[in-house]
Amino acid sequence: MKKIIEVAKYEYTHHVAKRRFWIALLGIPVGMLAIMGLSILFSFMSFDLEPVGYVDQANLIVQEQQVPENLGFFDIFIKLIPYTDEAAARADTENGTLQGYFVIPSSYLSTYSINYFSNKQPAGDVTNQINQLLRDNLLFQENIPNLDRIMSGSQISLESLDGSQTSDGTNWHNIIVPAVIGIIYFALVMTCGGFLLQSLVEEKQNRTMEIMITSMTPDNLMIGKIIGNLAVGFTQILVWALILVIGAVIFRDKLTFLSTLDLSAGYLAISIGLLVLAFIVAAGLMAIIGATMSTMEEAQSINGLMVVPLMLPFYFFNSFMTGPNGTLPRILSYFPLSAPFSLSLRMAFTTVPAWEIIMVFAILIVSVVLVFWLSGKAFRRGLLEYNKKIKLRDLFVKEANHG
Amino acid sequence: MNTIVVNHIAKSFGDMQAVKDVSFTVRPGEIFGLLGPNGSGKTTSIRVILDIYQPEKGTVTILDGPMTEEKLNHIGYLPEERGLYQDVEVYRNLAYLATLKNMTKEEIDQKLPAWLERFDLTEHQKKKTKELSKGMQQKAQLIAALIHDPEIIIIDEPFSALDPVNTQLVKDLLIELRNEGRTIIMCTHQMNQVEQLCDRLVLIDHGTVLLEGGLKEVRERFATNQVLIQTDSDLPENLPGVAKIEKEGLYHRLTSSDGTTPHAILQQLIDNKIGLNSFEIATPTLDEIFIKVVQEGRNGHEEDN
Repeated sequence: MKKIIEVAKYEYTHHVAKRRFWIALLGIPVGMLAIMGLSILFSFMSFDLEPVGYVDQANLIVQEQQVPENLGFFDIFIKLIPYTDEAAARADTENGTLQGYFVIPSSYLSTYSINYFSNKQPAGDVTNQINQLLRDNLLFQENIPNLDRIMSGSQISLESLDGSQTSDGTNWHNIIVPAVIGIIYFALVMTCGGFLLQSLVEEKQNRTMEIMITSMTPDNLMIGKIIGNLAVGFTQILVWALILVIGAVIFRDKLTFLSTLDLSAGYLAISIGLLVLAFIVAAGLMAIIGATMSTMEEAQSINGLMVVPLMLPFYFFNSFMTGPNGTLPRILSYFPLSAPFSLSLRMAFTTVPAWEIIMVFAILIVSVVLVFWLSGKAFRRGLLEYNKKIKLRDLFVKEANHG
Repeated sequence: MNTIVVNHIAKSFGDMQAVKDVSFTVRPGEIFGLLGPNGSGKTTSIRVILDIYQPEKGTVTILDGPMTEEKLNHIGYLPEERGLYQDVEVYRNLAYLATLKNMTKEEIDQKLPAWLERFDLTEHQKKKTKELSKGMQQKAQLIAALIHDPEIIIIDEPFSALDPVNTQLVKDLLIELRNEGRTIIMCTHQMNQVEQLCDRLVLIDHGTVLLEGGLKEVRERFATNQVLIQTDSDLPENLPGVAKIEKEGLYHRLTSSDGTTPHAILQQLIDNKIGLNSFEIATPTLDEIFIKVVQEGRNGHEEDN
């Protein structure tokens, strides 16, 4: 056990102490934030948020524009200012106080046309807002009971024919948890799995492996490496989570939907359990690849294939939304490498029977055992074959003779 | 009790039979030479001893039983293919490998500086391994094999890449370790080193044992009926008890007739008033024995096939 911890410690400090780890760690969220920030900045820059005036010659506006409560981060609000005098509105447009002004002519109720005066094109939302203002005022004068409720529309509940799937139509953001699980899993496999693969191939190329496996058993060596790299991965997740939490705290007023997230402890525990087990399976596969390949280039080309099962649930996202208990989502959630995102996603859209969840966990545990058994063989068989790669078949056939 | 008993082991890789039938014993506190030409099965035999490979046939007994993870802590190994982390500082590299031999941080911090000092590596301890010369890397690798005070030391070509000064340093160290009671298995092609260091040896080729025994015993077994003399006198054409006289540079090689002892030849030379500068029994060098045994073994191998 002591040696397993020593290996894990070495693997952890070896990667975490490297500058490239921190560059990748902080670079990814900073890069993503920078891209998001720039795109938001450019969109805002393309909006003219200066107020717009209106002159109501038809005397239709009795209720002025309401400033919406809980204005979302991405909601655009342009203030509409009433003017009694067109000349004043024109003067304010000329001196830049207004971006332009509407004139609602006295003939509006017969023509339904209004004029906009400006040297600029009206921003997209300005026309929506003046139309909204007119519509609200015209309806207000009709004295329709429950007008507010009618205007805010119906609350639609969705239910599948067998009653297993229910939704109030507003829980789209429940996919945030599976999406986060999926992204974390993908990032873990790609970075930490990559580190593991790299460390094995490097040890093989450096010939350090022979020293290592004459100090401890290959199985313990691999367990130590997986734990170490898993810890590197969790450090990565922790830092990213910290960045997300700080971001969420700073922008808490704008991210109101987060409070409606369905974050039951059981759901989170299942998702995290799937994530850890699937990562161990992926890491074990990486170890087999690392042990059987003789150069990093070969290992990376095979490793590239690992991406496919990880990406499948993303490709078939629509199938999960439209039929989370359909054949494809089910198969993907039974397959160890695609299980974390797939099952978590299904659970977000529907109620997955308990037996299925237990079965997925059983498949993952069996896979962990199988992958460990196979990678132990790959270590013995492949690690000292410096100059040639080992075929998967060899692991079963030749070692089985005297295993 | 023997330290290591290798009993009829066999190991193949696919169609290649790396070790066919190898047996030998290594006694406590000796330097044991494991010799053989390239590809003879030496490294595979060592890997079987170290439990890296499982033998298809035969057994290995080490310290009175099968190999265990605990026993690995008592073995120091310098593999043929040297291996240290190239991008890691020498001190950290060696300290990490020492922890895998169950050493505590305190023990390492106490012993490692002394080893670095002994091998003249103290000023290089902060350098990355790849920044060291080949000879320095070799010395660092030796530290990795020895720092945990192993009972059994297995070293493959310990003198490769070393200059004469460092070769002497390592030789002195091996003798010192033997005198402390450590058991050493040494693989090398340098027969002069074997002659100077080994107590016993085994010679293998094509995965089978060609020769095993004590160094003195092996040399005596291959001793010829010849003496080498150095003289300024002219030798008579016929000397009783001498079948043939050949000139080899400054020496004359005298082949005795059957049953004539070297002592009888010496007496003949004195009786014939031949002034002698030197007189020695012509025992073959280990190099000569090695070549002879391997060639005979290969001829036999071809005939078998």
